[in-house]
Amino acid sequence: MKSKISILLVGLMVVLAIAGCAKKEAPAAAPSLKVGMVTDAGTIDDKSFNQGTWEGVVRAGTEFKLDTKYLKPSGTTEADYLKEIGNLYDAGYKFVVTPGFKFETTIFQAQTKYADAKFVLIDGSPHAGDWKSVVGPNTVSIFFAEHESGFVAGVAAALQIKTGSFGFIGGMEIPPVQKFNWGFQQGVDYANKNLGTKITMKAENVIYQGSFDNVAAGQQIAASMYDKGVSVIFAAAGGVGVGAINEAKARATAGKTAWIVGVDVDQYAEGIYSGDKSIILTSAMKGIDVAAFDMIKAELGGTFPGGKTLIFDAKNNGVGIPAKNPNLSPEVQAKVAEVFKLLQAGTIAVKAEQGTLIK
Amino acid sequence: MEYIVEMLGITKDFPGIRANDDITVRLRKGEIHALLGENGAGKSTLMSILFGLYRPDSGIIKVRGKEVSIHNPNVANALGIGMVHQHFKLVHNFTVTENIILGMEPTAGPMLQTRDAAKRIKALSEQYGLNVDPDAKIEDISVGMQQRVEIIKMLYRDAEVLIFDEPTAVLTPQEIDDLMQIMRNLLKEGKSILLITHKLKEIKAIADRCTVIRRGKVVDTVDVADVAESRMAEMMVGRTVNFKVDKREQERGEAVLSIRNLNVLSSRKTQALKNFSLDVHRGEILGLAGVDGNGQTELVEALTGLRKVESGSILFKGRDITHDDIHSRVMAGMAHIPEDRQKRGLVLDYSMEDNFILEIYGLPPYSRKGFLNRKAIRDHAEKLIQDFDVRSGQGALSVGRTLSGGNQQKAIVGREIDHDPDLLLAVQPTRGLDVGSIEYIHKRLVEQRNNGKAVLLVSLELDEILDLSDRIAVISHGELTGVKLPKETNESEIGLMMAGIAGAGGME
Amino acid sequence: MNRYKSLFTALAAVVLGLLAGAVFMALSGSNPVAGFYYLFRGGLMNLERIGNTLASATTLIFTGLAVAFSFKTGLFNIGASGQMLMGGLTATAIGLSVQMPRIVLLPLIVLAAASAGALWAAIPGFLKARFNVHEVVATIMMNWIAYWTVYYTIPAYFKGTFLETESRRIPALASFRAEWLTNIFRGSYINMGIFLAAAAVVVIAIILDKTTLGFELKAVGFNRHAAEYAGIHVPKNIVLSMSISGFLAGLAGATYYLGYAVNMQIGVVPSAGIDGIAVALLGANSPWGVAASSVFFGILHSGKGFMNAMTKVPPEIGDTIIAIIIYFAATGVLFTRLWERLTRKRSKEA
Repeated sequence: MKSKISILLVGLMVVLAIAGCAKKEAPAAAPSLKVGMVTDAGTIDDKSFNQGTWEGVVRAGTEFKLDTKYLKPSGTTEADYLKEIGNLYDAGYKFVVTPGFKFETTIFQAQTKYADAKFVLIDGSPHAGDWKSVVGPNTVSIFFAEHESGFVAGVAAALQIKTGSFGFIGGMEIPPVQKFNWGFQQGVDYANKNLGTKITMKAENVIYQGSFDNVAAGQQIAASMYDKGVSVIFAAAGGVGVGAINEAKARATAGKTAWIVGVDVDQYAEGIYSGDKSIILTSAMKGIDVAAFDMIKAELGGTFPGGKTLIFDAKNNGVGIPAKNPNLSPEVQAKVAEVFKLLQAGTIAVKAEQGTLIK
Repeated sequence: MEYIVEMLGITKDFPGIRANDDITVRLRKGEIHALLGENGAGKSTLMSILFGLYRPDSGIIKVRGKEVSIHNPNVANALGIGMVHQHFKLVHNFTVTENIILGMEPTAGPMLQTRDAAKRIKALSEQYGLNVDPDAKIEDISVGMQQRVEIIKMLYRDAEVLIFDEPTAVLTPQEIDDLMQIMRNLLKEGKSILLITHKLKEIKAIADRCTVIRRGKVVDTVDVADVAESRMAEMMVGRTVNFKVDKREQERGEAVLSIRNLNVLSSRKTQALKNFSLDVHRGEILGLAGVDGNGQTELVEALTGLRKVESGSILFKGRDITHDDIHSRVMAGMAHIPEDRQKRGLVLDYSMEDNFILEIYGLPPYSRKGFLNRKAIRDHAEKLIQDFDVRSGQGALSVGRTLSGGNQQKAIVGREIDHDPDLLLAVQPTRGLDVGSIEYIHKRLVEQRNNGKAVLLVSLELDEILDLSDRIAVISHGELTGVKLPKETNESEIGLMMAGIAGAGGME
Repeated sequence: MNRYKSLFTALAAVVLGLLAGAVFMALSGSNPVAGFYYLFRGGLMNLERIGNTLASATTLIFTGLAVAFSFKTGLFNIGASGQMLMGGLTATAIGLSVQMPRIVLLPLIVLAAASAGALWAAIPGFLKARFNVHEVVATIMMNWIAYWTVYYTIPAYFKGTFLETESRRIPALASFRAEWLTNIFRGSYINMGIFLAAAAVVVIAIILDKTTLGFELKAVGFNRHAAEYAGIHVPKNIVLSMSISGFLAGLAGATYYLGYAVNMQIGVVPSAGIDGIAVALLGANSPWGVAASSVFFGILHSGKGFMNAMTKVPPEIGDTIIAIIIYFAATGVLFTRLWERLTRKRSKEA
């Protein structure tokens, strides 16, 4: 009885396999563009890089009626990433968007291996592991002026709170996170000097946790900062930031003051603790979705800037704070808009280096 | 005649062996019916079928005249059939009451309600003269008492038919007498008993009728009163059995083993051996008699190297081996038939051929330069299987676990004797075995002695010691109480010495 | 007879796993036939993909052997991940700091990494042998010690110019990837580890079946009391068994970090260490079974993405399906036994 069923099953599998091999190539390539994405270590709804990129892809997909697909690699090695790019390519997805610097060496290989495909590398530049950028003719490398984003958020937060102490929690000590930190400090400093605020930032309240996934550690660090009198924490730290947000929510629920400045995308919704009240004061955003959307649009229009490295900054509205900030007063928002204009005009210059800044 | 249980034409096959072949057994109401057979004859299989652990390939079971299908032990329980297994199934850190109600716990709401159960257990205990304390923990009571707990467990579940599987194997002589009395009490209260055993003495003492099984088939069912013990033994073994061990007179040779002032601790760190000294000579069987737990185990473990010696020395063939490891003692010519064949004697998951080289796998021809020589191993196994009449389903390739207890023991005895040891430590070599196997193993031990080897026989069975030994040493509380020649002593004197009363002037 | 039976059981388990996966695909609204078609095509459709499948299998063969070997000796080495990390760290350290001809360098890396893994496993082995500390607890602890050791060491001594979170790229000289091999498999990231893995399967099979060492180790595993009785040094064998197990896991680390990957990242516990348990289960702890089940898992791992790309199965569900197939296949041995019992019972009643 049992063996009969099993033999039947094995037989079925064999037939399937043979049928599979006999059948020629997969469905005929659709005429329109197929856009694929490979995610980084996190999930697609990480409220950060993966999600931002995917939202841009989906928006383009809906608007231009494109086939879109994302794949999740089984590990974080170059081989794992490359494998998923290969899968997308073999399935006819010849426009691939990848979020994050971890794809740098992967795209370096992919751009020559799949010469007839297009690649968009967000927040990184292809290289062979030697940090010498080689942006292939079929690749666009995109960077953001995180320091400008941090600057604007710093000005906004300082204007709203006026006096007190601010803190910063970073994930790993890598360039994008560092630039957020340095820009934020410059923003606070600018508000103190020019807009009459009295905000302090102590060295002990600028901390890189060392990972992007240790939620518990984020919560602990935030708690100790709040206990030391910090009222606003800028958390540029992925999952570690989620821990900080949780701590702030707990405190706000208990009636205490605790603010978080969000990062990468508008994190207002993440900070809601009662009704529509959120502990997210504002967010230092990078236009990841805009970048992804723009590149797809350019490709469709035949203007894909292959071989170029693009910088998204204040000038091209690639960075900034959200359009809607329920926790900022209208006056503050107006003032910030003025500062943003000065930034765009080049009147204000924000440094992307540490200089005399903390960490 | 009214039968309470009838098993008619039962047949059961296992891979390579027909365990039960058309067996018919009928149990009358109110009788003790013995099931007699050698190990591996098929008794346990038959009872497992009655108890619902196995399903027969053919044949029917009737209970109180009605055909029934017993597909699991719960059905057997419901039909009033209970079994006291050879290895008790008790939770050691539970009390007697907790063990008995296990699986049918009386509750009041979510809470366990044990008081009424304890009362009923007390009442049952008194009714049948069992003398069990319902509140005692299992780990604190003796083996004999644990067996009574198993009996009460059956009675508590209103069993009418009680199956006893080798119930005396683990009991002392005094406990055996008590058990017999308990069985009579059970009979008086209207129960019926199926007694699985291979001990003729007990059958003669207590059973009404006896069904003899040999190699899966019924030889006959007889009224015990009408048949002599020796006749039953013949029926069981299939030939005439010689109870008397033939032993020629011979001079003993020089001492092979000299134990000097040995002090050894038990696992619980108590003094197990106290200044123990003893010599064992070539050409003799030295029997060590004693009540279980008086230091015999520790002595043997110290001699083989399984246990550390605190002080004193062990000389083997004139060399001090007190601190040698186990392997070098084996190589020096010491062999050991262990007390527990399944725990120590065999790797049950190994094939028999691998078990036969358990100590000598590293020697040529069984291995060379670290690589096993399968051909030599197979040949070795086949020779031992032949020489020692080890029966199994697939010969050398049979997995140790699949052999019956008697054949496992024969395999161990064969393996150890095959090492041609100068000293053979035989610890309860016939424990739980049938007449045929016992006779066989005894013959082999005497052969060793006749060949000028030394044998140290440790046994709890006084008959065995008296039959085989050239000299008898008695141990009590870790001390030697004396050494006697068999012809100059008797059972009662040895019994007194076992109790710690030193013999009137030892020899040697 | 027995060998055929366990082969049959494993095959039945695989079928059961695929069936469970099919049910799940159907539940998630996809056609299971198409799903499996693309899953297996993704793992096998051209030389590059076959190469990738073998590359995934390489690591699993090592960790599967490591777990199976310890099982044979009655030990449960759940610390293959940690041993792999230590092997990988050692290999990375040598690969990034030692300059010598490749023909000397690679064997040196292999030996050093395997020894590091062996040492990492020998510690729980020693604790088990000497103090009877349960090896499951000890190896899990060792996993975390390895994790944090890597976490500290890589950024402190081997970090790249910009990134704190991974080591510098392994130079081609010290990599297990070979150009000729990559070319044969059309640009796959297959590496020479596959040859080491194949050799390991053969060597372990010989050790277990044909040597006195294997005889001792298995005796200790099956019944340590009997082994002790027979004069086999039990503590020595426990330490030895764990060391050999860790040796294999160390090889997994060397070939994974210097072959499959191109550098060592911090903050990641290699999942191959845990997958090794499933591989060993499905492979019935036999070296040949481990090799076969590793290749099967390799197909699943490398075919999954293509299945996702070609069907509407979302990647998260894709992961779940793979996990279900692995789970059912690994535990299917139990299911098939249950099935055997049920059918036997039914035939009796009929």
